[in-house]
Amino acid sequence: MAKQKITSSSTAEYFSKNLQQVGFSSPTKAVLTTLKEAVDNSLDACEDEGILPELYIEIEKVGAGTIKNTDLIRIKIEDNGPGLHIDDVPKVFGEYLASSKFGRGRCSRGQQGIGISAATTWAQLTSAKGARIITKTKSMRQAVSCLVDVDVKNNKGNIKDKKSINWDRPHGVSVEFVLDGRIQLQGEGGLITYLTGTALVNPHLNLRYKLLDQPVVKVDRVSDKCPDIPNAVEPHPHTMKLGEFIAHSHLFGRSTLSSFLKKGFSRITENTLQEFVKNGLDKKFLEQAVDKISDAHFKDIFGAIHKTELMSPSTRSVMTIGEETFSKSVRRLGEVDFFSVVTRKPTICDFKPVAIEIAVARLKTAQKVEGDDSPPVQVLRFANRVPLQFDKAACAMVRAIETVNWRSYGLPQPKSSLPLGPYVIAVSLVSPFIKFKNASKETVDASDELVEEIRRALIQAGQRLSRHIKKEHREADLEEKLRHIEQFCPILVDCLCRIVKAPEKRKKAATEGLVKLLGRDVNAAKKQLDEALKHHKEAHAKGKIQIVEKEEVKAEEEEELKAPHPEESEASEEAEAAPEKTKSAKATSKTKKKATAKPKEKMKEKEA
Amino acid sequence: MREDTIPKLSKDLCNKMLTDLENARRPVLEAIKCSLDNSRYNPKVGYLTPGDKMVKSELNVASVQKMSRAIFILEILLRNLETGAVNTKRELYYISKGEVKHNPELRPLDFSDQSESDAIIDFICEMMECYREDLNCYANDRGGQTYSNQLVVTEQLPDGTKAVVDLSTLGTSPFQPKNRPQSLSLKAKKKIDFCLVVESEGTANTFVTNGFCKRNNAILLGAQGVPSNAVRGWCKLIQDQLKVPIYFFGDLDAYTLQNIFRTLKAGSAASLIRNSDFSAPDVRFLGVLPEDIKKYDLADYPVKENDLQEARALKKASDALKNDPFFKDKKNKGLSKILEWLLKNKRRCEQQSYFTVDPRDPVMPEKIILEKIKKGDFI
Repeated sequence: MAKQKITSSSTAEYFSKNLQQVGFSSPTKAVLTTLKEAVDNSLDACEDEGILPELYIEIEKVGAGTIKNTDLIRIKIEDNGPGLHIDDVPKVFGEYLASSKFGRGRCSRGQQGIGISAATTWAQLTSAKGARIITKTKSMRQAVSCLVDVDVKNNKGNIKDKKSINWDRPHGVSVEFVLDGRIQLQGEGGLITYLTGTALVNPHLNLRYKLLDQPVVKVDRVSDKCPDIPNAVEPHPHTMKLGEFIAHSHLFGRSTLSSFLKKGFSRITENTLQEFVKNGLDKKFLEQAVDKISDAHFKDIFGAIHKTELMSPSTRSVMTIGEETFSKSVRRLGEVDFFSVVTRKPTICDFKPVAIEIAVARLKTAQKVEGDDSPPVQVLRFANRVPLQFDKAACAMVRAIETVNWRSYGLPQPKSSLPLGPYVIAVSLVSPFIKFKNASKETVDASDELVEEIRRALIQAGQRLSRHIKKEHREADLEEKLRHIEQFCPILVDCLCRIVKAPEKRKKAATEGLVKLLGRDVNAAKKQLDEALKHHKEAHAKGKIQIVEKEEVKAEEEEELKAPHPEESEASEEAEAAPEKTKSAKATSKTKKKATAKPKEKMKEKEA
Repeated sequence: MREDTIPKLSKDLCNKMLTDLENARRPVLEAIKCSLDNSRYNPKVGYLTPGDKMVKSELNVASVQKMSRAIFILEILLRNLETGAVNTKRELYYISKGEVKHNPELRPLDFSDQSESDAIIDFICEMMECYREDLNCYANDRGGQTYSNQLVVTEQLPDGTKAVVDLSTLGTSPFQPKNRPQSLSLKAKKKIDFCLVVESEGTANTFVTNGFCKRNNAILLGAQGVPSNAVRGWCKLIQDQLKVPIYFFGDLDAYTLQNIFRTLKAGSAASLIRNSDFSAPDVRFLGVLPEDIKKYDLADYPVKENDLQEARALKKASDALKNDPFFKDKKNKGLSKILEWLLKNKRRCEQQSYFTVDPRDPVMPEKIILEKIKKGDFI
């Protein structure tokens, strides 16, 4: 017999020892994960109540950390959400697996109720202090401030230092962690990358953030519509295992099996019940109360259900940002040259409803390196509108990007790799049941069906983009042809004349003939360019491709400089919606210069 | 091709181009397509000849750069022919750079690396249907080091004089054949029984040092891997002028059979227009033959399929059996059977394995070779 005593541990004990599994595997990731979990909670809370979210984030170093090579970091996130009732505060911030969303089948960002408690645990482990919370709901006259610790032994949150304070806002939550970590701003795991990504897929978000000693950055919302998160639909019987199926029946007590099946699941009707009977379900069970059915019989019933072909689950439970709003949001990525967005119709992949949205944008970089020497494109991945920033190689979204032949759309691409160039490819996957590869939700499992669906969306976006790239290529082609004529015609004729010792008269005639000949080629190139321009114009008019143009930039600038009159703002919106006017190559390049200058000014304004 | 015909051909070509331009017509340059799909093999002829396919390049905005460069290099080559100067491809690359340097108007023609100017030189050769040597553009003489106690070579020098080299006076030093063997003529002091071409230059050296040429009335030469123009033209010369049987002794593997032996015997697809002067169709494959492994208990070993080069050679061998007119012809059935054997057994055996037969007898390989020649044990 074993000498050691068998003991049981609480969930909190398990997670406090395995924080690396939920995104706290390094000091850098600890800061990002803490920020991410708090932002997720704030945005989910706002959306549940239909509030347009306003977030303020502050991250600063306040000293040296207790762990080697770390700093003591203060992370503060304030929202204008509905606020938390004080009784809920210890559950939310100090208890693992306490969630309002667990297994509900909605497309919310948070799902299990692990993340923010893990952040509190990390803070508690590294700085001996949990989370400082200020909360105020609409019905409270004063806000409550308190400190939450995790009681690791009992998986419970403990409140300390509770006091009422005056807070100058009607409702909201402010959460502050002081923990050991390291700050990385740029790059794939950087805080700025995270915040830019979050702004991209949350067009209704007003975000202000202050990182380290940098000035406050303000990202204004581009949509005044709070997304409507569709309610969960009943589970589909084919997505369940036998144990789940039996457990699900316990919720229905004395209901008959037929009513349990019809009410407890989607896609089951009277006709499907008859199909089940045909496939071996004993008819007598249909009218029997579910609590009277033995497990052995449940197994037979479950078998009959699985033998029957059912309609795929409904796609009503997924939501999308929409091409129009997404287009506005893309411009917040940085200095965008042109872009295309695609919103796919929700569909079923691996028996789960899924919606894919894609944005492909070309950035105006200081040194535009295009061609085979340029670095790979920047990939932004989102799962239920949360940026994924680590372990990208095995992710379904990256796999899908690699399988698309981007060369045919004008982007250089090494074999089976990411395409190259100053582009951003953003892939947003929304589904109530996303299959992640790990608990820290960093990689989406690359099933064949999902990869194919993402691939299709990418192909659509690529095709739209290619119209603009093709136009650029044609312009360059024409320019090169003209240059060739200028450079090589005299050399060729000179060399030929020297070899055959031809007189000046022949030389002149040959030069004229050659110019005439090559002029025909130039005319053909001009025709091709005209055609490409026509396609480009059509695509632009249909909204399939968008270019950040001079008019739009100007309108935006004016909008920013003076608080607009309601009529004026309407006028500027009209200007934005106006179809693109065809411009010559020179005009476009001038526009580019102008547009590049603008965000710099914008930055200066912010700094001021 | 006679030296004086090149300038005339070039001038005709340029004149035609100029006339086309005067009439605003697009000049079209035609060249024979030098590739396997345009290769024909007639067993009576014995080497690969070009088919009917031509490569046409028409002057347009896209090709004007290539054509201008071609005419520019042609002018340099014609000047060389006129003065009798010769150059390598690399020297021509630098000469072109010098021209551009001294005449800034030519800057658009500038080559960014040698591969660009090499391609233009090859294009001119294909267009004129001549060898680069006809344009006084020589490669360095590689391979073909020859030893014999019976052979006398007479070289016609550019200044009109003659040089006579008696190979028996060279000791163990070899005679180095030139890339342009047309200027050489051969004579045998005494009847020569055969010529042995050894794939490895080192092994050929060993044979000579061990007294091969003293014991045999023979010509011995080392191929040094894939035969260069010098080796190919030299073997052709030995075959035509001395009319002695030529045997090739090399490794038993796909690379030797296709890249080395086939090129020596029937030329290559890339040099279709000059295979007539650069192949020796009478050369026979002496070994190593697959049956030799068993017969002499030779040390062979499996082909490493994860070795990229060897895997590529095997892939090429299976392609050759399907597409190469040389291996497809029934006259060369014996050779294609070896390829099939190699593909099936995935083993290889090197020429030096003859030294395993009797490790203490340094002339054992020679004895085996002579026995094989005597018994007619070759393909």
